[in-house]
Amino acid sequence: MLRSKRTEILAASMLMAPFAVTYGVLFIYPTIKMAQLSMTNAPLIGPGKWVGFDNYFRLASDRLFSVAIWNTLYFVILSVIPSTLIGLLVALGVNRLKGWLQSVVLAAFFLPYVLPVSVVFRIWQWMCDKDFGIAQHVIQLFNDGQRLSIFRTIPLFMPAVAVVTIWWLIGFNVLLFIAGLRNISSEIYEAAQLDGAGRWTQFRRITWPLIWPVTVLVFTIQMILQLKIFDQVYLFSQGGRIDTTIVMVQYILKQAFQMNKGGLAAAASMVLFVLIAALSVLQFQLLRARGER
Amino acid sequence: MSAAGATNGSEAAAGPHVELRRVTKRYGAVTAISDLSLTVEKGSFTALLGPSGCGKSTLLRMIAGLEAITAGQCFIDNADVTDVPPAKRRIAMVFQSYALYPHMTVRQNIAFSLSVAGQSRKVQDERALEVARILQLEPYLDRRPAELSGGQRQRVAIGRALVRKPEVFLFDEPLSNLDAKLRVQMRLELAKLHAELGTTMIYVTHDQTEAMTLADKIVVLDKGVISQVGSPLELYNTPANKFVATFIGSPGMNFFAVDIAAMNGRTASVVLPGGRTAEVVITTTAGAGLAELGVRPEHLAVVDPNDPQAAFAGAIAIIEHLGNSTILYVDTPAGQLIVEGEGNLDAKSGQAVGLRLDEGHARLFDETGAAL
Amino acid sequence: MSASVETGADVFASRRAGRLVRLRHLDLVGLVITAATVVGAALWAFPLYWALVTTFKPENEVVRPAVQLWPEHFTFQNYVHVLLETKIGIWYVNSLVTSAAVTVLVIVTAAGAGYAISQLNFPGRRLFWWMILASFMVPIPALTVNHFILINQFGLINTLPGVVLPQLLAPVTVIIYKQFFDSVPKDFREAAMIDGANEFQLLFRIYLPMNWGITTALAIITFIAAWNLFLWPFVAVNSEDRMNITVGITQVHDAFGVQYARDLAVAMVAALPVALVYLIFQRRVTQAIMLSAGIKG
Repeated sequence: MLRSKRTEILAASMLMAPFAVTYGVLFIYPTIKMAQLSMTNAPLIGPGKWVGFDNYFRLASDRLFSVAIWNTLYFVILSVIPSTLIGLLVALGVNRLKGWLQSVVLAAFFLPYVLPVSVVFRIWQWMCDKDFGIAQHVIQLFNDGQRLSIFRTIPLFMPAVAVVTIWWLIGFNVLLFIAGLRNISSEIYEAAQLDGAGRWTQFRRITWPLIWPVTVLVFTIQMILQLKIFDQVYLFSQGGRIDTTIVMVQYILKQAFQMNKGGLAAAASMVLFVLIAALSVLQFQLLRARGER
Repeated sequence: MSAAGATNGSEAAAGPHVELRRVTKRYGAVTAISDLSLTVEKGSFTALLGPSGCGKSTLLRMIAGLEAITAGQCFIDNADVTDVPPAKRRIAMVFQSYALYPHMTVRQNIAFSLSVAGQSRKVQDERALEVARILQLEPYLDRRPAELSGGQRQRVAIGRALVRKPEVFLFDEPLSNLDAKLRVQMRLELAKLHAELGTTMIYVTHDQTEAMTLADKIVVLDKGVISQVGSPLELYNTPANKFVATFIGSPGMNFFAVDIAAMNGRTASVVLPGGRTAEVVITTTAGAGLAELGVRPEHLAVVDPNDPQAAFAGAIAIIEHLGNSTILYVDTPAGQLIVEGEGNLDAKSGQAVGLRLDEGHARLFDETGAAL
Repeated sequence: MSASVETGADVFASRRAGRLVRLRHLDLVGLVITAATVVGAALWAFPLYWALVTTFKPENEVVRPAVQLWPEHFTFQNYVHVLLETKIGIWYVNSLVTSAAVTVLVIVTAAGAGYAISQLNFPGRRLFWWMILASFMVPIPALTVNHFILINQFGLINTLPGVVLPQLLAPVTVIIYKQFFDSVPKDFREAAMIDGANEFQLLFRIYLPMNWGITTALAIITFIAAWNLFLWPFVAVNSEDRMNITVGITQVHDAFGVQYARDLAVAMVAALPVALVYLIFQRRVTQAIMLSAGIKG
């Protein structure tokens, strides 16, 4: 296209500048600083001395750090697998509905997704309240008639937070699955019916294989999302034994703001950073490979 | 190949209106067009005709300024516009897809260039109305393109070009998205438009019917090279090479190999497949030996198989009755030849026939395809 | 001789009967599935319903041992208290201001950048594009500490601009804009250039208007995300007056012990705007989510 190179570059600069500036200042610079900081023993604010990989060694030997990693992974397993499967089931059910009923049902599953985490926290804190929560009626059935403080019972903490998280975020999965299901032509099912395939066979031989790419997509998106978990775990663990249920982002914040160990916090951030980045790349490749199928 | 275009009663202007001088277009390692020169006269309707990939759209876009010219120059009205951006070239273009802004009304679409230039609403509305009147778009001024038919959309595209009062109108295969009947209708409208406005128009198409009916001058392109330039009848009656002869005219010209027996000044004696001889007019000298003879279907006539004047003996393979004419596919020693006959021709498939050849209208082509 | 040979008609009749039975069987299962889905939806909606209903009960009703699905004495007193006695007004304003600012700034910068990368040729274009794609795979929460240090250096801790700034990082929005601008046929650009438009006119009069739906969807989803953000406002603000509503409601502590209905009422008020936005713009929201997931895929 014939046009002055100079005006084109000028226009491009003006259009890119705002984003480029924010990108540089808010992403490139802090990332570099983070890497740098992780190699020093600096406090949160202020300079420190260069200590090389010392912080990383400290992390490796810090029991709390391994607890944080384990808790994070545990939480991911607890929440991502069920939420993917439940999302698929719900989508299968919702997809069969039509008209206003479908809209209402979909809204019921999706509305929690747009709520802030603190609202979700309050709703479930109330439901599970030891003294007056409605969930206690169900709990008493399983617990010899005894009430239970769910979020103060350590073995129940993570599963309970996982349940809340699934309730909160299922709408996202349902949406993606519905889109995937709609892409499967109904003619395939009709042909299968004529061939005598029952419902279960249809699911096993048609739906499941064809929806697999979406299943993988949902799974990996949720996995990467939940590795960054903080909000719910923090809120539900207030007033309890925070360190037992600590997750990685919590650990980072604790080191930075409570222990004033800026360098150590940065090192922990780097570990999380690299872990998630690696998984994202893996996900990207995995999906591209599937796309070629 | 330089094209000294045929003039056709246009006003005296100092030189051609649009000129491409020795232009080359390279895409990386690929050379699409090499050292091509082309002129367009003021007020003419010039068609760039050729199969897809021949470079006609590229040439049009180079004139428009949408493609950079790798080497060579482009002149509009004697001014060198090679490095001038499209908006300043006083040209307007109608795209194949029309490119009507879907979120604007017809009025806004037509007036867009004026609004971009900062003209007042009053001026925009006035000029848009003016143009809409010429194109009979008045009732549609407040509609969106999605609500219009194909023909109406095309008129809006033309209107958008018209409003800029350009010196040169460029058309990039504007009729190819229309159905057959609409195409005929719009062809007439374009011809009318040209007659009314008298603006120079350059028209790209792969459809030889469009070129033949609309253009004063046709530039036939083959793989980035000009094959021939001339008026429609010139190209039809005296094609310079086999490519032009095949491309122009429907159904296409018949070709078969012949032996040049003797040269007799302005004619040559050739031996036809099957043994008969014919005397054909030539314009350049030719040596004895192999050549190809081209004959248009309407210059072959079906006669009695025993007719002594028949050039070929053959049998009818397929008959197509078109009502006003009949197309026959006749198997002969020269291969299957297409013959065009009267509408009420009485013939049957399998019938043995003879074919008479109108020698005055047959053309010889040498091995390179150039006309003799 | 009575050979027990089935006639053709018999075979068909029995097959038809079998298929009919199966058909009816299918319908039953289908009905069960539909019913299960509806019941599932009701159960899923229950926590929200229960919380909402509780806010309309007076506190003494709330702490009764029996389960009451509808208030005996319907009351607004909890909401009155919330609106008058807490800082919810300030939090609302903070949330509105910061969310609106984030939305506007993100849309403007992302549309500009998306357009430039999509349509213009400039040095470093491809490098920039790869960097944006890469940044998308990076977890923002991991940068929290360094964002804090940076915003502190600007002296913007505990201020609204400080809350807004790190949220301007939105590679997803740029990527979506770029993809949509890519899909605009080149003809429009060429026609507009012949008409004399410059790049800004192209962006604002052709490319953006042709993609209004996307802008709306992205704006809504950016707004909701900014409204709901917890981690960064939590870290960056420590005085109640500057909190956004998502953080603020976790700070509500009544001096006289736990007041369940009031705590819930505060939460409901906080949730109201985003819930309304979703219910009104349902289709845009779901569209935006699909888009952002599309890139991750």
